[in-house]
Amino acid sequence: MTPPEERIVRIEVNGRPTSALVEPRTLLCDYIRNHVGLTGTNVGCEHGVCGACTVRIDGDIARSCITFAAQVDGGKVETVESIAPSTDELHPIQRAFEAEHGLQCGFCTPGFLITTQALLERNPDPSETEIREFLSGNICRCTGYVGIVNAVKRAARDLRDRGT
Amino acid sequence: MTESGGFPYPGGGRFVGARVKRAEDPRLLTGEARYAADIQLPGMLAVAFVRATEAHARIESIDVTEALSLPGAVAVLTAADLDVAPVPLPFEFDGLAAPPQPALARNKVRFLGEPVAVVVAENRYQAEDIADRVRVRYDRLGVVVSPEAARAADAPLLFEDLGTNVLFERTESAGDVEGAFAEAAHVFRKTFHTNRFVACPMEGRGVVAHYEPRADHLKVWSSTQTPFLLRTTLAAVLPYPEHRLQVIVPEVGGGFGAKMSTYPEEVAVAAASLKLGRPLSWIEDRRENLLAANHAKEQQITLELALDTEGQILALRAEHVGDAGAYNFNSTSCLIEPFIGARNLPGVLRLRNYEWTVVSVATNRSPVGAFRAVGSTPGSTTRDAFLDEIARQLGIDVVKFFRKNMIRADEMPYHQATGQVYDSGDYIGSLDQAVELVDYAGFRRRQEEARSEGRYLGIGFSPFVEATGWGSEIAKSQGLPFSSHDNASVSVDPSGMVTVATSMASQGQGHETSFAQVAADVLGVDVATVRVTQGDTDVSPYGMGTFASRSAIIGGGSVLLAAEEVRKKVLAIAAKTLEASAEDLEIADGRVAVKGAPQRGLSYPEVAAIAHWDLGVRSDDDGHRLAATRFYDPPATFSNGCFVALVEVDPELGTVKLEKIVGVEDCGRVINPMIVEGQSHGAVAQAVGGALLEHMVYDENGGLITSTFMDYLLPTALDVPPIEIAHMETLAPHTAGGFKGMGEGGLMSAPGAIVCAVVDALSPFGAVLEELPLGPEQVARMAGSLATEGGHS
Ligand code: FES
Ligand code: FES
Repeated sequence: MTPPEERIVRIEVNGRPTSALVEPRTLLCDYIRNHVGLTGTNVGCEHGVCGACTVRIDGDIARSCITFAAQVDGGKVETVESIAPSTDELHPIQRAFEAEHGLQCGFCTPGFLITTQALLERNPDPSETEIREFLSGNICRCTGYVGIVNAVKRAARDLRDRGT
Repeated sequence: MTESGGFPYPGGGRFVGARVKRAEDPRLLTGEARYAADIQLPGMLAVAFVRATEAHARIESIDVTEALSLPGAVAVLTAADLDVAPVPLPFEFDGLAAPPQPALARNKVRFLGEPVAVVVAENRYQAEDIADRVRVRYDRLGVVVSPEAARAADAPLLFEDLGTNVLFERTESAGDVEGAFAEAAHVFRKTFHTNRFVACPMEGRGVVAHYEPRADHLKVWSSTQTPFLLRTTLAAVLPYPEHRLQVIVPEVGGGFGAKMSTYPEEVAVAAASLKLGRPLSWIEDRRENLLAANHAKEQQITLELALDTEGQILALRAEHVGDAGAYNFNSTSCLIEPFIGARNLPGVLRLRNYEWTVVSVATNRSPVGAFRAVGSTPGSTTRDAFLDEIARQLGIDVVKFFRKNMIRADEMPYHQATGQVYDSGDYIGSLDQAVELVDYAGFRRRQEEARSEGRYLGIGFSPFVEATGWGSEIAKSQGLPFSSHDNASVSVDPSGMVTVATSMASQGQGHETSFAQVAADVLGVDVATVRVTQGDTDVSPYGMGTFASRSAIIGGGSVLLAAEEVRKKVLAIAAKTLEASAEDLEIADGRVAVKGAPQRGLSYPEVAAIAHWDLGVRSDDDGHRLAATRFYDPPATFSNGCFVALVEVDPELGTVKLEKIVGVEDCGRVINPMIVEGQSHGAVAQAVGGALLEHMVYDENGGLITSTFMDYLLPTALDVPPIEIAHMETLAPHTAGGFKGMGEGGLMSAPGAIVCAVVDALSPFGAVLEELPLGPEQVARMAGSLATEGGHS
């Protein structure tokens, strides 16, 4: 078997240009984790169901475990590492998850944070049903979603109060 | 010293009982946390397993020629290359057949997905390609996929040497069961079959092993709940000197029991690193996880109940048949379901006469093992469904039926027929509180009204008692002679900051927060000045780790005891320096001072500096180093509570809409209510999965049909309803700090509550429980909307 031909992929990750020589089959999650070195994006199923690997591609939420890095060549990706404004400050969404105990083991959390960010940009005042529906593509095995749903509500409130 | 705990400590008491924010969260919220898959070492290679593609077969040959010619191939190792001993049982157990489980299959495979060879390659993509090209030739053997088939006279045998597939069979009894049945007014009997479902943490298993031959040091990072047990086991089977072996637990993405046992894969990766002298990383994928991480919860339970004319329970007979899967590995895993299940089935019932039979049978399916509320989920679910059905037949309200037959608070401590001694709690009080919280009478009226509109609401109750804090005593009372050893160290460094090191390991339970709260209160310091370290066998004192709701009691208890000793040392040093007697001192807000004269005092940094550097004080014989390590093996203690489910069922579509789930839990002194509630919420969500969605399905050839999340359905935010938890707080009378364990009650009891609620909703159709989980098809069948299939009881 001849090894598949490698090619250069260029992706802007969290506002920084990155590039690597990769096999065409390289998944976006592996590109981010292994080539860029950002390991906050977790991989829970590798078949597109659990949502742990959720990132934003050109602003839209997507599963990095069923996207090839090459498909995003020239595009922009944002990961959980982009959310906090600085090393010693958390984003209101992160603070809300902390205050409402929206995480236990933390493995699903990056996916939930990214998804919540997208939801609240689109809909700053979601109802409980809207929240549950929007998050239903992300699985958490620890929290029973109680803390997560409360965290999204709190984050929505805080962001509205801040007027952002 | 206060064995029972001195809460609140004079000057302290600010943190235990408070919703302290978790120390863990900032790193988990920002992507900084490092799980096993995030570990990168220079020169690290990737591992993939070649797994059995047959459920039962003899291995004729393994051809690695083509595989080794592929790019990136470093090695393919089979059982012949890795000479490691099978994982031993932790204790001798009378009557238990314990055929060995090898790290890699030798001669024969016994379940689909069993590891056959270790592939080592430059990266994971290559390792998986190579694994696909290892040619294993199998000679198929007959397959048994149920205990029934495995017990048949001509059944193919998994272990020929044993001459049977039955690994364990025992009947025990208490009281006069036969006599009680003879004088019963009513006798009921029914067989239930519970579904096989799994812990399924969002992070699968993962192992990184690094052997440095010249340093003669083997480091193993594993996503495990039990770092020290893993170290001891690896040392025995590899074999490798235990003092040169270091197990490190990175961030762990959930465990729920499934990461408690030592797995063959952990042994194989460590052995391969020893052989190759290279760092190796194995990160399990989801298919492997569903196929080969331990399964759980499936039992066939037959119950026979004797009642008097008043509905008082006279006696119970139970037979628990467990499907052990293909191996009985090191946690004596084949006993986990039926043995513990039968012991705990009576639970809150006042039961004098009980006979229980436990059977465990090997089949060609994945081995079973621990999963939250080990063994108890099936027992509790079937007991509740059985009692519910009987109450309905007798025309007694189920809550009244429970109340009549439950142990009363004035009977504590209560000696259960199974030999357990329940220490404390108001079980009926918990039930009553639950009844009030859901406005039971109001619900019945709502139910009536809804029915007249053609809508079907239902309610189900499940009171529970939970054996917690598995130390030696409770293990013994469960019939398992499994002695425990757990420790914690507390030390104050020269700058006055506190470090706690514990033998527990966390998979999301927030130990770094809870244990810091305990130490802070005992020492009278701010919680922010306490750091908790765990999960590194080079750093922490020895101990069993985290499983069976033992961390709060044993971890919390040992931290409390060690901190009390350090507190005494702090007082002694301050007393000497301040020329006062220790009794006249108090500690508050990080300062030791003479009572009533706060200006005559010392801060923690001052005390610490004196203890470390002041020759006059330091040279005292009584060892003023501000550190202590304490051992704790607690007496048995039982938490209790009650879960209630409220549902609406569509009898035609068979859909179940959960309105809400309410729980009352009494877990003794609560260290952090936020964390405790979170544990209950998570357990309830798993209960929703187990009752309505999750089911491991095999075909008749031993093929697993549910090997992805497309077929094995985990509950999402749309499936899990709002959950309300209320606390009762009956301090444990005998444990340090009055702590009891918790975290399992929700999965022990909420499945039964949900099942009973669905049956209650469909009671106008004369529905009874037939099959689990209650998917749409099963529910529609119960409602009579679908014809009943033949073949199931
Ligand atoms: S890891 Fe991508 S959806 Fe599960
Ligand atoms: S916090 Fe563990 S899976 Fe969500």
